[in-house]
Amino acid sequence: MSCAFVKGYSQDCEFTIKGYVYDQGTEDPLSYVNVFIQEISKGSVTDDDGNFLIENICEGEYHLIFSHIGCESKKVHFDVLSDTIINVSLPHTSTAFSTVVIEGVKDETNNQPSLSVNRQTLEDNINQNLSGLLENETGVNLIKNGSSISKPVVHGLYGNRLTILNNGIVQSGQQWGNDHSPEIDPFAADKIVVLKGASAIEYAAGNLGSIILVEPKKIEREPHVHGQVNYFYESNGRGHGLNTRVEKYSPELAWRVNGTFKKYGDRKTADYFLNNTGFGEFNLALQLEKTIDEELFLEFYASTFNTSLGILRGSHIGNLTDLNQALINEVPFFTEDNFSYDVDAPRQNVSHHLVKGKAKYYITENQNIEFVIASQLNNRQEFDIRRNDRSDIPALNLRQYSTNVDLKYNLNFDNDLTIKLGTQNIYTDNVNLPETGILPLIPDYISFKSGLFATLAKKIDKVQFNVGLRYDLEIQNVATISNSIPREIVRFNNRFNNIGALAALKYNISKEQSISFNSGFAMRNPGINELYSNGLHQGVSGIEEGDINLNTEQAFKNTLEYIWNPSEKFSLNSLVYFQNIQDYIFLNPQDEIRLTIRGAFPVFKYEQTNANIYGFDLSTQFTLGNALLGKLKYSFIQGTDTTNDIPLVFIPSNRFISSLVYRSKKTMKLSEHVLLEDSEIEINNRVVFEQTNLLPQQDFTPPPPTYALWGFKVSTNALFTNYKIRCFVKADNLFNIQYRDYLNRQRYFADDLGISITTGLSFKF
Amino acid sequence: MNRYLMLFAFATIFLLTSCDPDEPMIDNEEELITTLNYSLTSSNGDVIILSFVDPDGDGGNAPLITGGTLDANETYTGQLQLLNESVSPSESITEEIEEEDDEHQFFFDSDIAGLSVSYNDQDGDGNPLGLRNTVTTGAAGSGTLTVTLRHEPNKTAEGVADGDITNAGGETDIEVSFPIDVQ
Repeated sequence: MSCAFVKGYSQDCEFTIKGYVYDQGTEDPLSYVNVFIQEISKGSVTDDDGNFLIENICEGEYHLIFSHIGCESKKVHFDVLSDTIINVSLPHTSTAFSTVVIEGVKDETNNQPSLSVNRQTLEDNINQNLSGLLENETGVNLIKNGSSISKPVVHGLYGNRLTILNNGIVQSGQQWGNDHSPEIDPFAADKIVVLKGASAIEYAAGNLGSIILVEPKKIEREPHVHGQVNYFYESNGRGHGLNTRVEKYSPELAWRVNGTFKKYGDRKTADYFLNNTGFGEFNLALQLEKTIDEELFLEFYASTFNTSLGILRGSHIGNLTDLNQALINEVPFFTEDNFSYDVDAPRQNVSHHLVKGKAKYYITENQNIEFVIASQLNNRQEFDIRRNDRSDIPALNLRQYSTNVDLKYNLNFDNDLTIKLGTQNIYTDNVNLPETGILPLIPDYISFKSGLFATLAKKIDKVQFNVGLRYDLEIQNVATISNSIPREIVRFNNRFNNIGALAALKYNISKEQSISFNSGFAMRNPGINELYSNGLHQGVSGIEEGDINLNTEQAFKNTLEYIWNPSEKFSLNSLVYFQNIQDYIFLNPQDEIRLTIRGAFPVFKYEQTNANIYGFDLSTQFTLGNALLGKLKYSFIQGTDTTNDIPLVFIPSNRFISSLVYRSKKTMKLSEHVLLEDSEIEINNRVVFEQTNLLPQQDFTPPPPTYALWGFKVSTNALFTNYKIRCFVKADNLFNIQYRDYLNRQRYFADDLGISITTGLSFKF
Repeated sequence: MNRYLMLFAFATIFLLTSCDPDEPMIDNEEELITTLNYSLTSSNGDVIILSFVDPDGDGGNAPLITGGTLDANETYTGQLQLLNESVSPSESITEEIEEEDDEHQFFFDSDIAGLSVSYNDQDGDGNPLGLRNTVTTGAAGSGTLTVTLRHEPNKTAEGVADGDITNAGGETDIEVSFPIDVQ
């Protein structure tokens, strides 16, 4: 956003404020922008040329709010001492109609296919975790283990193959487990971006193309204390949540504090309670910013994430016999009729702490250097049901410490050519804390990753191209414990070299149409879990065996994106992707059944094959008349093991998501000082199709059938003189449908969630 | 300056590569059950011991299973003994089960006609436990006898008190099958 203040001359209380509002991207004037002076509840609307005028203003300090359909509203602080002219640009998206819109990221140097979730959507989905926020986006799916553990899947890839950056730092933790979710508070962020590109050259290695960025915005240049309080209550689980954010800017130091608290009890399916599925969460984040001479930008960020969550009691089972019994049961064992907030074993205690310092120095206007240093501490304790009061002793107690050191250099030549060079270095120390009484599944290790990258972006007329190269070195020093008697320590030292490359071409056919093609190559060396897992993974009730002879995966990904925005009333975005992964590492169920004293267990081994994962994401938005906005999204995905010519396991099924929003353009006046604006009614629907691309012997039980969930939402914004309150009520699974989802591991034991009604209040000051 | 910083970062990383993780502590696997001995004493005092021994726990070497030959139309007094032999001296898990008798129950199942097992002990609530039991054989035949130990079963569910595992739930701590000949 840019503002210009020009002072004129007038007398007290006869000042005028006038200005011009234009689109940040296209620089076209924006008409019908609401301009509102918060302190005196006075406002105006821009005309066809983007101009507005407010008269009879007294001398004083004011906040001006600019709001427009499709834009996040903008607040500008200013002093009126005379007639004032304010020119403002809004980050308007041409296709947008509602503020709950997914907008493309317009970073000229990065023309990869992407989608993003904005702050408004975050606030309206405050009852969700990070993964849940992305659930309705094309190309993104969730792997779940019950209702409170979920991790995102982008184009069929997850875990070790998908990097999540929290405020620019590669999230480090126990990404390998399907029963672990990313330990990030999304409400400390303002935007979540999913890059669905062919190769994420700029970001640390390990990912095979896709990246999720969780980003807070810069603190607004606003000299007063401002903030917001968000509260919600969700009926299913009787969950309460509170998020508070306070910030203040001053030239000396700008600060922002963000805190989130959540407490849930047992969730409920359409018919019964899911006992022991409650959780509690407490997160805090501090952001400090300082600018020195508009040349050096310093940033400090610290955050802590803490959660304690229960796992469905009935999903904690012993051997294959128990699993077969659970599959037969309609209702899981241990299901009780009463609701409780209590959490007993099986449960997890997870905490994640991050400290980050960043310095960005502008050598000249077109050249800058960025230096980042960050440390993370991740602690994961898992408690199983054990004999003799050992349920309070963690069965798994992992502590991971990591340090990141990044350096990046940016060079722009008049915006037509951009060069970036950089290095990322990550040190990780993973330790199993002793006295669990159980041999660890994942060994102790120390690893180093060091990477170098260079990217170049060039724009010539209507054509923009990007090329990039990346090299990474990874060293793993591992200390495993043998499973023979007597137990011995066996050490391994590995060294891997990985290369990545990207070529992308974007052609802007016209103002309304563009087509882009991305082609990339990436390598990922096997992870510690894939090499050295050894033993019973209670969470998945199978014996998992790593293979020390695994090779590095090599992935080729191509994407073709076509965007068509013929008018404000219609837009279409289509993305086709094809990824070929050589030596794709996966957990393959073996024919062998391993006999133990606890009975027979299925054996899973990490094996390699060649795989193709391909599909398309299609989304469209359209307006009907003046007040109705429709959105349709469809994702198709298919995975094949090309070596054996069979389907790949655990690939998401196809989905169709639709919504229809009625938005009242009228501002309703409740009283002299209260206005209601942007009132909306939304109906939405999500159809998840049955995963038919799977052989019967590839799973314990066939994938669940197709299901369709309906949702409903009403929201409005109440504007008071000095503050704004947003309220919403929404219902998920409106018709209380009984269903199970293929990617939810709890589906072997229980149904998914039934109806849930969430009420939310957001107070901004 | 930028180049030097980069070199510095790399040099630091390479220097650190000599670091190996510390010696991991090898935990005492006190909860592990490695051995199940099932002694059957006939009415005339003959003792037959069925056993399942897997000293290295899950995975590793395969367990050693010893079955037995029983007389037809005989009644045996059965006694189960559970050990953790991965630690030295070996630990008795039988005591743990006795201390938490209300949270445990053994179940017996056989495909040999006429072979049945009945409970000979109770927990504090008067529900069966199964450490002590009575095995009755019928006509000659051969097959298996499966011993199952459930942790946190629903002891009040239908049929569970009579030794029917169907509605028991809980998780399996032990499930072993012994080859048996009844002669």
